[in-house]
Formats: sequence, structure tokens, C-alpha cells
Amino acid sequence: MTALSASRPAMTAARARRRRRTTSVLTHLAALAVGVFSVFPLFWMVLTSVKPQSEIVTPEPVWWPSSFEFDRYPFVLEAGFTAYLRNSLLVAAGTTLLGLVVATFAGYALARFNLPLRRYLVLLILTTQLFPLVVLLIPLFIVMRNLGLLGSLWGLVIAYLAFITPLTIWILRGFFLSIPTDLEEAAQIDGCTRFGAMWRVILPLAGPGIAASAIFAWIAAWNEFLMALTFIRADEQRTLPVALAQFAGLEQTDHGAIMAASTMFTVPVVIFFLFVHKRLTTGMVAGAVKG
Amino acid sequence: MSATPSGRRPGTTTLAAGPSPAPAEPRPGRSYRQLFDSRLLPILLVAPAIVVIGGLIGYPVIRTAWLSFTDADLSSLVSGEMSFIGLDNYIEALSDPTLRRAAIATVAFGLACVVGTMLVGIAVALLLNRAFRGRTLLSVLVLLPWAIPNVAASLVWRWIFHDQYGVLNWALSSLGLSSFDGFAWFNNWFTAFVVIGVVVIWQSFPLVSLVLLAGLQTISADVMEAAKIDGTTAWQRTRLIVLPLLKPLLLVLIVISTIWDFKIFDQIYILSGGGPARRTEVLAFTAYREAFTQSEFGLGSALAMILFIILIIVTIVYIRLIKDEEPTR
Repeated sequence: MTALSASRPAMTAARARRRRRTTSVLTHLAALAVGVFSVFPLFWMVLTSVKPQSEIVTPEPVWWPSSFEFDRYPFVLEAGFTAYLRNSLLVAAGTTLLGLVVATFAGYALARFNLPLRRYLVLLILTTQLFPLVVLLIPLFIVMRNLGLLGSLWGLVIAYLAFITPLTIWILRGFFLSIPTDLEEAAQIDGCTRFGAMWRVILPLAGPGIAASAIFAWIAAWNEFLMALTFIRADEQRTLPVALAQFAGLEQTDHGAIMAASTMFTVPVVIFFLFVHKRLTTGMVAGAVKG
Repeated sequence: MSATPSGRRPGTTTLAAGPSPAPAEPRPGRSYRQLFDSRLLPILLVAPAIVVIGGLIGYPVIRTAWLSFTDADLSSLVSGEMSFIGLDNYIEALSDPTLRRAAIATVAFGLACVVGTMLVGIAVALLLNRAFRGRTLLSVLVLLPWAIPNVAASLVWRWIFHDQYGVLNWALSSLGLSSFDGFAWFNNWFTAFVVIGVVVIWQSFPLVSLVLLAGLQTISADVMEAAKIDGTTAWQRTRLIVLPLLKPLLLVLIVISTIWDFKIFDQIYILSGGGPARRTEVLAFTAYREAFTQSEFGLGSALAMILFIILIIVTIVYIRLIKDEEPTR
């Protein structure tokens, strides 16, 4: 920039300023467009859920309601969503707990020990991401049917482990790899057993990583739709996503209530998500780079 | 090592080992504890994961592969009786026009979603890498679509694309495109796919942007400054410096997006239900439908396997591309 303006001072300086202003305007316009694209659907979901009915079904959209109506929320809860909410919470919590125990141990072992076939195990865990859930769906359905697990929330918890374990192992392994091994060696010299060194020294250090994976597992279980749709047949056992889809099918025209139920389903995820997104992306990328 | 005194086994009483025995050294006097720590403990730690992965992924995949060669239906679930019919299910999947269309749609629509996601993701990452007021806020807002569950996202967009009361049709027709007044997006397979694609891209671009932004921030400012002094345009810098440097990251993101976008189910189930006339079905959806609403478990398994095989082929192609890339770097 300086080299150029030295040769042709006045004109280029003015042109450069003008050009910089245009770029700045364009940048802000693009930022605005991206912001609207990202946020508008969420805004519209919440807004529709609290609008008076007469302002929802209008040929021209009402951007701000004349009054806020919150009674759709109790209405939706009474329409069965209290039970669905409970089911979803139970399944998500159960899957997270079980999956985390399995994944923490495995992730640690894969990060630290010279296991036989370790390379292949790591590769296998990565390949499971390729597997479409439908490939697992039919046999799991048959097995669960024979074991009488269809229509039990436990069946769903077990099925969810299929996709939650590999990914959490992957993320946790990345976290463990980022902790120096000196700490375990020091702990062992101080008299810890090998397991003790992991349990007392490394796990607390990996706490934030484990918490992030827990939230990740929780979100994945909370959102899962296809397996819940297939394995749960009794209405009172349904989890939120399936119940929501069904509700939206039955109450085709009650857009306000559908959006209220969607909001209730979405808000916990968004809150959790904003807490952990940084850790999740670094975890995934770190795991991928050190593969 | 100070750990030896706690050994209760007579084998560890080799006090002669006092002057620092190296732990890696294979000696006959090695304690059981060391053996446990180095051999058994790691296996115990991975065992639960192997059971979960083997039982919940390994077994089902093999069983699906087996079922895809049989005529399993609802009655065989009860009796366990089914007959081996060779490749018949695969032949039907490739000759039946609806099923074949689903396979083609999986690839074509999936790739379209990958391209869309990457383009939007790259553009937003480049935007977020510039300095402007509100950048921090925008980088948080951009995350929201990623956080919203598939079902909820699909329902909101269904409402936005609603033919009579949707915001979008209103916006398009007030911009002078009067043909969008009351336009029914889901009555035509192409426009239905457009809506599904918008939802998929909306949900998946944030990850791409975020990862790329992290990559962009590792590119040294000096290089960019030097290129600027050399009189390059912004477009040249992006094309000749930024994109080549981000190539490894881009390839990984393309693989991840492809794996996701070829498996789409939720959005199609909610938005179009596969319609009109089964024309927006993709393999994941068709396999589910054949298996669980038509009770054709054999055919459903074959369709699921075809999807799986397509994913494997695409991934192998990508890995080849990545491998070819590496020596030049």
C-alpha cells in the first residue's frame, strides 16, 4: 500500500479510501445477511409460539405481536409432552452415563497404551462414522423384539450406545493425547498404581474434556429420531423428537402449538451447546490431526 | 522403582534389583503388577468398548448383510424362517424405478448438499476472518443452526416455506416474483428437494465455517501482507494462498459432510415424507420404509447395504485424493 501511494500519491489515496469504504459496506451487508440467515428461523419459531392465533395465519407476516400469549406452553405440556420430556431426559441421561464410562476407559487406553492392533482399533472407531444407522436398524429391531426390549426406554439407551460410544471415544482420545505423559509417570513414582495414576491424576485433568463429551453425548441422544421412531411403539414411551413429529402431523394447522413444542425441545440444546462448542471443535480437530 | 516394596509376591523379592530397574526391560523377576499394568489393564479398559462396538455395530452390520440375501418379512420375525434368495433383492433395488431413483437421488442430492454446505461454509469463514464491528457476535450467532435438532429445524423451515402463510412466499412475491404467491413447494419433487437442501445446508455450514476459521487464523499475516504489497487482488490471494493452505482441512470437511449428507433421513421424513409420489426418497428413507412400513426386511436390508457400499466407495475415493495430495506438500 505504502509503496504504491508513494509513486502516485493523491489519486490512489482517494481511490483506496473509496475502495476501502465499499469493501467495508459490502462486508457489513454480508454479515447482516449471514446473521439473518442463521438466526431468523429460531427467532421465527419462538415468536410464532407466543403470537395470538389471528396474527399467525396472516397472508402478510406480523413481525411483532400485539400481545404475547404464553398459554400454548402449558397446553402442549398437558397434551402429553410432560411424559415425553421425562422420557427424553431419562434416555439422554442414561446414554450419557453409560457411554461416558465406556468411552473414557477406551479413549484413555487408546491414547496411552501400546495395545495389540491399536492402529486398527482407532481406524475402526473412525470407520463406524461411515455406517448409516439404517444398516444397524433392522437387526437391532429384531434382537430387541426377541428380547422384549421394544417399547422400553432401556432398549433405546442400549441402541444409542452404538453411535455415541465411537464418537465420544474419538473426542476423549484427542483430549487424553493433549495431556503430557509425565504426570502419570510422576504419580507412579509417588506410589500410585497404573490405574490410580489414570483415575486420580489424569481424569480430573481431563475433566473439561469429559464434560464436553458428556454434553455432546447428551445432545446426540436428545436429538436422535430414527431409532426412537422405530423402536418405540407405545405412545407413553415416546421421546420428544418423535412425539414432536407426530404432534406436527396430527395438528397440521396449529402452527403456534407446533412451534411452542419445538421451542421447548430446542432451548435446552442451544444452551448446552453454547457452553461447549469451542471444546467440541478443538477436540474433534485435535483428534483428527493426531490420528 | 519405589513400587517394588509393595509387591507381595515372592518373585518381587529380588532386592538385588535395587539400583533402578528400567521398567521396559523384560526380566524374569518382573512383578505381576507390572504385567497387569502393561498387558491386562489396557485390555480391560478397551474391553467394554469392544463389546459395545462389536455387539451394537459389528453384529448388526453382518446380520443386515445376511438378511439382504433373504426374503425376510414380518412372519419370519416370528417363526425365524426365511429363505435365501441370492441377489434378488439387489436386482429388484436396481431395476425397480422408484428404488433406483432413490439410489440416484442419494448421490445427486447428497453431493449437491455437500457443494452447497462447502460454498456457504467457506464464504462465511472468509467473512468471519475479516475485521468488522459485531464479528464476535456473528461468530456466536452462526453456531445456532448447528445446535438446533433436526426435527425442530425441519418444522421451522416447513413453517417458513408454508404455501399460504409462509414468510418466504410472502417475501418472494413482494419482491415482484408473483408466481411464488401461494406456491406449494412440496408439490413438486425438485422444489421439495430445494427446501430439504436449504435445511441441510443451514444445519451443516456452521461446523465447516468454524473449523475453517480456526485454520484461516493460522495463516501468517506476513504472507498475506507480502502478497498484498506484490499487488494481488483479494480474490487472487484467496484462490492462490488461502485455499491451497486450507486444502487438507477442506478435504476432511468434505468427507465429513458427504458422510452426513448421504445419510439424511429426519429432514425428509418431516418435510416431504418422501413425496410427492415417493420422488424425494433417498436410500436411508426408502430402506426404512421398505423394512418398517412394508415389513420387507430383506429388501430394506439390501437398500441399506447399497447405501453403505456407496458411502464406502465415496470415502475410498476421497482417501485416495488425500493421499495423492500429501507428497506434494
